Amino acid sequence: MLTLYLSGNEAIAHGLVQAGVRFITGYPGTPSSEIIPAAQKLVKEKNIKAFIDWAINEKVAFEIAYSVSLTGIKTAVTMKQVGLNVAMDPFMNSAYVGTDGAMVVVSVDDPGPHSSQTEQDSRFFAMTGKVPVLDPSTVQEAYEFAKKAVQLSKRYSIPVMLRSSTRISHGRGDVKVEEDFILEPINATFKILKDWDKKLPRYAATPRQRLMLHGLLNEKIAEIEKLNELRTFFSGDILILSSGAVFSYLYELIEEHGLEDKVTLAKVDMPYPMKKFDFSGYKRVITIEESMPVIELQLCTEGRRNGIVPKQGELTPDVCEEILERIGLIKKGKTISVPPLKRPSLCPGCGHRIALYALKKVFGKKAVYSGDIGCYTLALNFGVTDTVLCMGASVSFGLGIKKAFELSGKNQDVVAIIGDSTFFHTGIPPLIDAVHYRVPFLTVILDNKTVAMTGNQKTLSDHVSSFGEPVTPIVIENVVQGIGVKFIQAVDPYDFNSSIKILKEAKKFLKENKEPAVIIFRHLCVNTKEGLDANPIYNVKILKEVCKGCKVCITEFECPAIFFNEEEGKVDFDKTLCISCGCCVHVCPTKAIVLI
Amino acid sequence: MKLVILGKGGQGVIFFSRMIAQAAIKRGLSVRSTEIKGMAKKGGTVEIQMKIGEGMSGLVRRGTADMVILLSNDIFDYAKTFGENIFSFNENEVKTALSSVPMRYVNTFLLGVFVKKTGLFECDDFMDLFDEENKKSFIKGCKYVQS
Ligand code: SF4
Ligand code: SF4
Ligand code: SF4
Repeated sequence: MLTLYLSGNEAIAHGLVQAGVRFITGYPGTPSSEIIPAAQKLVKEKNIKAFIDWAINEKVAFEIAYSVSLTGIKTAVTMKQVGLNVAMDPFMNSAYVGTDGAMVVVSVDDPGPHSSQTEQDSRFFAMTGKVPVLDPSTVQEAYEFAKKAVQLSKRYSIPVMLRSSTRISHGRGDVKVEEDFILEPINATFKILKDWDKKLPRYAATPRQRLMLHGLLNEKIAEIEKLNELRTFFSGDILILSSGAVFSYLYELIEEHGLEDKVTLAKVDMPYPMKKFDFSGYKRVITIEESMPVIELQLCTEGRRNGIVPKQGELTPDVCEEILERIGLIKKGKTISVPPLKRPSLCPGCGHRIALYALKKVFGKKAVYSGDIGCYTLALNFGVTDTVLCMGASVSFGLGIKKAFELSGKNQDVVAIIGDSTFFHTGIPPLIDAVHYRVPFLTVILDNKTVAMTGNQKTLSDHVSSFGEPVTPIVIENVVQGIGVKFIQAVDPYDFNSSIKILKEAKKFLKENKEPAVIIFRHLCVNTKEGLDANPIYNVKILKEVCKGCKVCITEFECPAIFFNEEEGKVDFDKTLCISCGCCVHVCPTKAIVLI
Repeated sequence: MKLVILGKGGQGVIFFSRMIAQAAIKRGLSVRSTEIKGMAKKGGTVEIQMKIGEGMSGLVRRGTADMVILLSNDIFDYAKTFGENIFSFNENEVKTALSSVPMRYVNTFLLGVFVKKTGLFECDDFMDLFDEENKKSFIKGCKYVQS
């Protein structure tokens, strides 16, 4: 045994690879993004042959990994909880058809939410898809359950979900890991002709055969259910059921408040499928779980249904303490009010900022800016994003809202804003519809050649894979042209004057032609080493005698390196943050910011 | 022991937490922690909650931290919600760090100052976590406090 200080995501990667998983794909999404890089690092270190890399979106990732599991190889797919929505179609089918090798679906929830659109509970999706789900409570368990998930999947030929959450995935701990890795040769077998007739009805099932498969699935679930035991701690006559990170908070609180003889705490390792238990020896049975009532509904306990557990928000240790108070077990001290932290902004020198500033200059405040998921969502701080829904929705919104304006005889401009990776993920289909229906709105693609918000993963424009093998870069212009968009221009947004010129041309094009236009703003993310090294250096200074203190450079542009000096009533630069990109010289209406 | 380490991206919050964790693990103590990084990469707040030698999770409830290590003074009020005992570096310490070691080793110098001033750990706990240059800088930090 080795003791390593691992994050939950690293622990999951370790468990998967150790249990023999040799094919992992996924799409980045906080808080799940570090699993794939950690697994890549591990197989490189151990010299293990494997395919571990990103896919274009979660649906594709799921289908790829699932198909590989049908060839007898152990596979996994990783995503954040909203990514599972994108993968729902293959996910719902996968348990019916089952696996041959093994398949672990890692879905990481984000109660809070800290960096997501929803607080949905992947365990609920597992229940809907009849997929068994393991729910680790500590980083150590993240490692162990990853291995367990592989074994369970292999044993019952069924995909198994490993549900993690922000606190587990982005938690760290001393983890005891085994030193040995399962080393079996990769040997894909599929379509062996002599028994293919027998197997075909499973892989290409008709609705009638699906019904049979559903019956078989129910049998598997019944078997797995039988094995699913509770682990109990302490010995009171109030039974609290829990799973995931929340279990660990409750365990700590029970010890801290000396409730060991008042409460029995039951740990559910597998929240679905669950069998019924005899709880007649307990006075009350309550489930405290994140973030939806999965155990509560299966076992008909108290919890959210009678208002003991809040229906939204993370169940932090502080909230768990309030819950124990509501049950009548403790009296909590006074609640401490927490001052808000400064809102996040785009990085100093980020190419998105100057691109979107130019966009606002040309299209004005009245235009509707439909935004998307990425760093650039932060442009809502300076008025260049009006909507954010889900991945790729900026382009569909652009189409929909422009069409609605057309139907109403209104002449309002509409601009969709989307990043390169999000465009590939789900932005292409709505653009195809937009060309087909000839809807005149502008789509701005912010191409920084990385998945910046989730920690700079590779994109489809790369020339080499994560393992250094050559891959074919996908050129956005070619895709857009292939769809049939006529107006396509690409520009580096640091070239402010050209950006303004192209934006004006696009505006004119949209007026004169009844069809969509696309502008690609291309600038490397300055939060990467390559991006920062390649960035031009333009030192700036502020002419204090010219600055009127109007704050336009702050409210309309919001570079974190520019701050208002209250004493002087003028702005100053924070030199520790400024990267000398020179972009702010285009912003000051009185020309108080100049190049040195 | 319950610790909270707070600061801005790029200020070494993660570095501090990893070093402290490694030193504690070397002593045979359990370490649990949780990391919350704001969306903004530069200038955004980074928050690490950590339990050493106790507990099952890494989360620290408001008002219960034994020490808050604060690397950025403008979030002092926020830091105080975790506990009263706040450790931060004074101007002299930061200035000395900047002038006595190259930029890349400023964090190890400050870690030395922290270890020596708080007495939560021994300097020896950290020695074999570093390469030569970092070790030198760490020792300089420890010595600075003694002088
Ligand atoms: S990480 Fe990159 S894309 Fe995101 S805000 Fe920073 S510079 Fe811009
Ligand atoms: S620098 Fe220019 S924009 Fe900023 S406050 Fe001064 S005058 Fe206004
Ligand atoms: S040059 Fe201006 S825009 Fe660029 S980082 Fe510095 S203050 Fe911000």
